[in-house]
Amino acid sequence: MNSDISIVGLSLQIALVATAVTLPLGMFVAWLLVRKQFQGKFALDVIVSLPLALPPVVVGYALLWVVGTNGWIGQLSESLFGSTLAFTWIAAALAAAIVSLPLVVRSFAAALAGVDPKLETAARGLGAGPVRTFFTITLPLAYRGVIAGTLLGFVRALSEFGATIVVAGNIPGRTQTVPSAIFTRISAGDTDAAWRLALVSVVLGVAALAVHNWLLKRSTNGIESSKGRDR
Amino acid sequence: MISFDVKLDRNEFSLDVAGKFDDGITAVFGPSGAGKSSLLNCIAGVVRPDSGQIGLGGRSLFSSEENIWVSPEKRRIGTVYQDGALFPHLDVRGNIEFGWKLLDADEQRLAPLEIADFLGLSHLLDRKPDGLSGGERQRVAIARALATSPQLLLLDEPLASLDAARRGSILNYLKRVHVEFEMPMIYVSHSISEVVSIASKAMLLRDGKVEGFDRPSALLLGAAAAGGDIDSFENILDGVIGDSTDHLTTVKVGDVEISTRHLNKNPGENVVVSLGANQIILAADQPTNISARNIFGGRVSEVWAKQGKVFAEVDAGEKFIVELTENALNELGIYPGSDVFLVFKSSSVEVFDA
Repeated sequence: MNSDISIVGLSLQIALVATAVTLPLGMFVAWLLVRKQFQGKFALDVIVSLPLALPPVVVGYALLWVVGTNGWIGQLSESLFGSTLAFTWIAAALAAAIVSLPLVVRSFAAALAGVDPKLETAARGLGAGPVRTFFTITLPLAYRGVIAGTLLGFVRALSEFGATIVVAGNIPGRTQTVPSAIFTRISAGDTDAAWRLALVSVVLGVAALAVHNWLLKRSTNGIESSKGRDR
Repeated sequence: MISFDVKLDRNEFSLDVAGKFDDGITAVFGPSGAGKSSLLNCIAGVVRPDSGQIGLGGRSLFSSEENIWVSPEKRRIGTVYQDGALFPHLDVRGNIEFGWKLLDADEQRLAPLEIADFLGLSHLLDRKPDGLSGGERQRVAIARALATSPQLLLLDEPLASLDAARRGSILNYLKRVHVEFEMPMIYVSHSISEVVSIASKAMLLRDGKVEGFDRPSALLLGAAAAGGDIDSFENILDGVIGDSTDHLTTVKVGDVEISTRHLNKNPGENVVVSLGANQIILAADQPTNISARNIFGGRVSEVWAKQGKVFAEVDAGEKFIVELTENALNELGIYPGSDVFLVFKSSSVEVFDA
C-alpha cells in the first residue's frame, strides 16, 4: 500500500510538471497557429501533432537520443550536473509533455478560435498592448476551453507509458509511474496489486474527463447562444 | 486634423488613397469592397500599409520613409464597430472603463460615468452586453471609445445592424457627441442618407481609389455611379415635436414646420425625421386645393443630373434632397436659383425617437 501511494505520488508529480510545460508552450503554439500568418505554419502544426500519429515508443526513443549522452540536451545537462537526464523522473515528465502536447494545442486552438478577433482589435484600440489584451480579453473568454485542454493534457500525461518506459525506464521509487507499475505487476502475475492501481487510474481518468466534458459543454452552449443573438 | 497617403496591395485588391480631414465629421463612403474598412484599419493601426504616411494633429503615426509605425494602442484613436464589439465577459461599466483605466491619471479627461449619463446608459451599468438592445450596444461602444479621450473617433458602419428607428437615434447621439466633446470623427458608411445627415464632408471611394471629396450631397450621383444604393435616399433630419391636433402633429425641423400623422408625443420632445427623396414633389407654382399637408417654398441650391437620375437640393429653411426625373427637370425648367415649392404628404414622413 505504501508503495502504491508513492507510485501515485510520483505519477502525479510527473504529470503536473509535464502540464506546467505544456500549458504555456501549448498556449503559445496554439496562439501562433490560430492568430498568426507566417512561413512554416504548416510545418509547426505537423511537428507539434506528430506525437499523436507516432507510436509513443518511437517518441521515447527519439527523446532518448536528445537527452542521452550523444544528444545536445544530454551533453548540456552532463556539463552542468554531471549526468544526463535519461532514466530520471525529469525525462519521464518531458516524455509525458511531448506526448500530451498535441492534445493540449488542439484544445487550446479550438478555444482561441472561439474568441472573436475583433474583440482583441477593439482592446488594442482602447489602449491595451498585446499581452494585456491576451490576459484581459482572450484568456477570460477562452478559459473554459483552456482548463478543459489542460485537464486533457494532464490525463494524457498521467497515463503515459510507451515513451516514458523507453526514456525513463521503470525504476521503482525513481521513475516507476502508475502505468509502468501496473505493467510490472501484470508481468509478475501480481493481479490484485495490478488491479488496485488500475482502479486508481480509472478514478483519476473518469474524474478529469467528467470535468473536461462539463467545461466544454458549457463553453459551446455559451458560444451558440451568443451567435443566436447576433442574428 | 488627420492626413494620410496610404498604399496597400493585397490579393486582388489595392488601396491607393490620400486625403486630409479637418476636425469636423467626415464621411468615407462607397459600395462594399471599395476599401472603406481597409482605410479605417490603416488609420486605426490594425493594418500596416505597404507605403505612405499617416499623421494625426502633427504626430506621425506611420511613415514608410522614416520607418515609423505607431501600434494601435498608442494612437489615441477610438473606434466604434458595426456590431459594437463589446466585451461579453464585462458589464457595461467594465466595458466603458476598460480603456479609461489604462490611461495615466492626467490623461483621464472625461469621466466614464458622465459619458454614460450623456449617452443615456446610467441605468444599464450593471448589465452584460447580452442583455442590451442593438441601439444600447452601440451607445456603450461609443461611450467606451470616448472614455479614452481619443483625438479622433472612427465609426465603422455603426448603424448597419440597427433598425430604422434606432438609426436616427444613434445618428443624433453622434452629432451631439461631436459638439459636446469637440470630437473629430470619420464616419464610414455605404448609406449616403446617413452620410448626408451627419457629415460636413465626404470622401467617395471606389475600387480602392478616391472618386470624389466634397459636400456629401454633391456626391449623390457619384455614389450612384459607384454602385451605391441611393434609390431610396432618405432625408434624415433632427426635429422637435410641436402642437398636435386630433389627426396631425407638427414637427419643427429647422425653420420648417412639418405636418405628420398624429403622434403620441409631448411638445418639445426631440425626434428624428426621415423623408424619402422620392416622396417629395417639386412644383414651380404654389399648389392650391391639394390634399398634401406639407407645402413649403424654397430655392434650388444645386441640381445633379446624370444618366436619367436627377437630384435637386432645395433650401426651404432646411435643406431637402428631392429626386425627380430628367423629364420633369426639363419641363419645369429647374436650375440652381429657381424658386420652387416642396410638396409631400404627412404620411410620407417617418418620425423616430431621438
